[in-house]
Amino acid sequence: MTPTTEERRRQFEAEALPHLDAVYRYAHTLAGDPTQAEDLTQETMLKALRAWHQFERGSNARAWLLTILRNTFINEYRRRQHQGETVDLAGLEPYHVFREVQEVDPEGRFFANIVDDEVLRAIGALPEEFREVVWLSDVEGFPYAEVARLLEVPIGTVKSRLFRARHALQQRLYDYAVEMGYVKRRAS
Amino acid sequence: MSAAPRSIDCREAVERLYEYLDQELTPEVRAEVEHHLRSCAGCFRHFDFERAFLRFLEARARGRGAGPEVKQRILRELFGPEEA
Repeated sequence: MTPTTEERRRQFEAEALPHLDAVYRYAHTLAGDPTQAEDLTQETMLKALRAWHQFERGSNARAWLLTILRNTFINEYRRRQHQGETVDLAGLEPYHVFREVQEVDPEGRFFANIVDDEVLRAIGALPEEFREVVWLSDVEGFPYAEVARLLEVPIGTVKSRLFRARHALQQRLYDYAVEMGYVKRRAS
Repeated sequence: MSAAPRSIDCREAVERLYEYLDQELTPEVRAEVEHHLRSCAGCFRHFDFERAFLRFLEARARGRGAGPEVKQRILRELFGPEEA
């Protein structure tokens, strides 16, 4: 039995719409600017509404929406995307920041002074494949297996990208905090 | 009752750090890491620091949602003008 238009709409409103913010956030992360994020969000939600009959009820609606979003981005937006600055992830020393601060601020209290925009800029400056992993894992809270499925990469790749992306973010935000005087650089 | 967790050193504990914080370890390995953390103040502090960083990251990055006007526009597009 196929649900009526009215029923489908009710289901969509109850199960998909609560994830609108998550879709928008990820769209912004992928596209890099609010205008494209809005377009991309709208297109994703439209596609999802049209394809609602394909959604497996009871499965993860947020993951389903983000998959549609990501495919839309890759197929229609990526080539238009402005390539901003990207950081170099080579040569990062693991857990360098903790070693730097363990004497002066082992609980990482200095992070509390860093504003949202600086964090989003730092994430935005990561190369795309690292940005996506850190976003899906650390912001959206998906388990490794779900991230791997969404990005169509092995779990080992998720782990290693996450490792490097977190270190790169930490290093950048630590440097920023030092510059702003939120934490003192260790005397060498 | 299961056997006592295998003893691991700092290097092994730190190798599991993110998987531990991300709750991706099997119960046995998780118990090994916790066993180590109970007896190693240095690793305990390190794990605590990384946990604080991940919480900070999530809290800061989740703030960016679609504003109310954006949501209105999208709803109009999805369901027609009567939603506005």
